Amino acid sequence: MSELPRWEVFKQDGPGKVHQAVGSVHAGDGQHALFTARSVFARRPAAVSLWVARADHIFALTKQELDAGTDLPEGDGGTFHIFGKKTNRRSMTLGDHLGTLEASSPQAALEAARTQYGDDLLVWWLVPDSALVRSTDSAETVESWFAPAKDKTYKQQSSYGVVGQHASAHKKAVRGGDHD
Amino acid sequence: MTETTEIMTETLILTEALKTALIARFTALADDEITLSHRVAEWTGHAPLLEEDIALANIAQDELGHGTLWLGLRAALDGSNADALAYHRDASEYRNAPLTELPKGDWAFTMMRQYLFDAWEVLWLDTARQSSYVPLAEAAAQALREEKFHLQHTALWVERLALGTPKSTHRMQDALNQLWAYALGLFDPLPGEADAVAAGLLPDVTALQARWLGLVRGHLEGVGLSIPSASELSASPLPYSRSQHTEHLAPLLADFQRVAREFPESQVW
Repeated sequence: MSELPRWEVFKQDGPGKVHQAVGSVHAGDGQHALFTARSVFARRPAAVSLWVARADHIFALTKQELDAGTDLPEGDGGTFHIFGKKTNRRSMTLGDHLGTLEASSPQAALEAARTQYGDDLLVWWLVPDSALVRSTDSAETVESWFAPAKDKTYKQQSSYGVVGQHASAHKKAVRGGDHD
Repeated sequence: MTETTEIMTETLILTEALKTALIARFTALADDEITLSHRVAEWTGHAPLLEEDIALANIAQDELGHGTLWLGLRAALDGSNADALAYHRDASEYRNAPLTELPKGDWAFTMMRQYLFDAWEVLWLDTARQSSYVPLAEAAAQALREEKFHLQHTALWVERLALGTPKSTHRMQDALNQLWAYALGLFDPLPGEADAVAAGLLPDVTALQARWLGLVRGHLEGVGLSIPSASELSASPLPYSRSQHTEHLAPLLADFQRVAREFPESQVW
């Protein structure tokens, strides 16, 4: 099953925040990718929404490629989601959702994006709207996919003092002279 | 004392018989979670996809978390110790349904069992949210949220594998044939549970079975699988129950309990 296609995952941490590219999963289809993305990327940290898109449906370009005059391949026009990496300082995410725009081709979308969002981004990703598969925004999905992570204290390492006691208590007992 | 407080106090008084029924059900639920969690965790490092390896470990951890929840509810009633119950009871004292102790089998078997179990658990929890025993109602509401996600995930796998290749379809049908009678065993009422059901403390598992059948039959038949018929099942009824385990439980517990039993005095982990 390792030949399954790769899907890029975009996670929204909270209402009003933008979706960010957080990594990828292998999955047979979009729904499957959403499920695995939830387990891999939203198990503990906060999230309210996930998007996935097949990696081979994303138009990607680095600043170096852009400076070298590389053009994006031909493709259909339509609505594009523009993701950009502005700095290499934060390494946990690969790019932020900057906005959407309409364009007649990927290359036209890129040119419009450079005008709109600045020309100094390190990485550009253009995701056709038709390539995105989104988790539903229903209260029930948020509740069952994302809310539990907040109070699953048993998923934190610190909660595994269940058997016996915390190490500090043990050391205290030893120092207290019970074990001489 | 206000009127409201009096009413609340009144509803919280449990007879010994009701308390015993609650303790028995919490133990059965915890034992299901612990044993199934262990079986699921056996996939860690061995799942067919890295992503599913992580997802399954996540499910295993959720189930173990639920086990802790149920043992906590039991402890509030009888002062028992969760670790002592989990690690120091033998197979003859475990009250899980035999479904959860069966070896993990192949991926199809694992997904089918998890699906059948998740569907049962979602429905049980959904009903238990209405329990007149408030600690149970609260715990059920909490566990239900993530259990719904499990069910969606495993329902998706059942569908993909059932409709996948001839080999995956065959394996899913095989798994269903092997598991069906065991899954029905989840719905055996516990001895002494009837009064607690009548008092609105616990879900009526017999009524739940009808809802469960509707849910899983719709999904399984919808993806082309056939459910074993009643006549096939009655031809060879299972000799197993929550108090009569298969030969697979003892080795599972030996593995699960080994460290705790080898180092009973250990203070630091």
